[in-house]
Amino acid sequence: MSDIGKVRVRIPSSIKAGDVVRVRTLVLHPMERIERDAQGKIIDRKYNYITKMTVTYLGKTVVLFDTTQSVSENPFFSFAVKATDPGQLKVTFTDTAGGRYEGTAEIKFS
Amino acid sequence: MGDDHRMTRRSVLGALGVLGASAATGALAVPDRATAQALGAQETVDAGLKRVFGGRPIKDGGGLIKLDIPLIAENGAVVPVSVEVNSPMTPANYVKHIYIVADKNRIPIVTRVALAPEAGQAYVGANIRLGETTDVRAIVEQSDGTLLQAKREVKVTVGGCGG
Repeated sequence: MSDIGKVRVRIPSSIKAGDVVRVRTLVLHPMERIERDAQGKIIDRKYNYITKMTVTYLGKTVVLFDTTQSVSENPFFSFAVKATDPGQLKVTFTDTAGGRYEGTAEIKFS
Repeated sequence: MGDDHRMTRRSVLGALGVLGASAATGALAVPDRATAQALGAQETVDAGLKRVFGGRPIKDGGGLIKLDIPLIAENGAVVPVSVEVNSPMTPANYVKHIYIVADKNRIPIVTRVALAPEAGQAYVGANIRLGETTDVRAIVEQSDGTLLQAKREVKVTVGGCGG
């Protein structure tokens, strides 16, 4: 799993000023599930899963996902952003092991 | 031998006690776990909703919320779900939070999404895990504090929540 933390951000290929664009993001991450022993007791250890995804656009946090272990492995999220000005859209994932994974997309008008 | 037996019994009882405590208080009894899993604790859906919303009334928002999720999920490990809310998304009136809740998951609150008016549209999509056939709800908190929900049952062929 050397690919952990690979982030992909996809935006539509042509965007006009003022459009509401749907952005799709994907991060490669195991999102570990809680394990149990034979007695059904939870094995107490630190599970590595993503707890937060922050989307910033033009320096402002637009969308913030707080996630739990009920989210699938290699989490996929989509959301909408109103493209008012050209600029960078940055997506940051944070996991419980202290990892921070970033992905960016450039919003340009055609 | 006798000691072994007693230890097993005790640990089983202990586990039951922890489960009982978490159901009653809505938080895990182990303190460091409780802080680590502020949102995603192991609990029943009623306890989870009570913890997050504090018993505020949740109205039916079927007309405003469009919850898109397959009726039958063959693989519970990856279930695509999307929520779209009909909202003007102006600073005066916008959707503040969208929660996705899977009733029968051991961790019922799947995700909480905070939105800013700059998003332009109240839309979120995610791939979630479902442990068994369950109701999936989308709960929407508007900027004035109103809570709305839409729910739909999803049949799950193979559960994907293991723990």
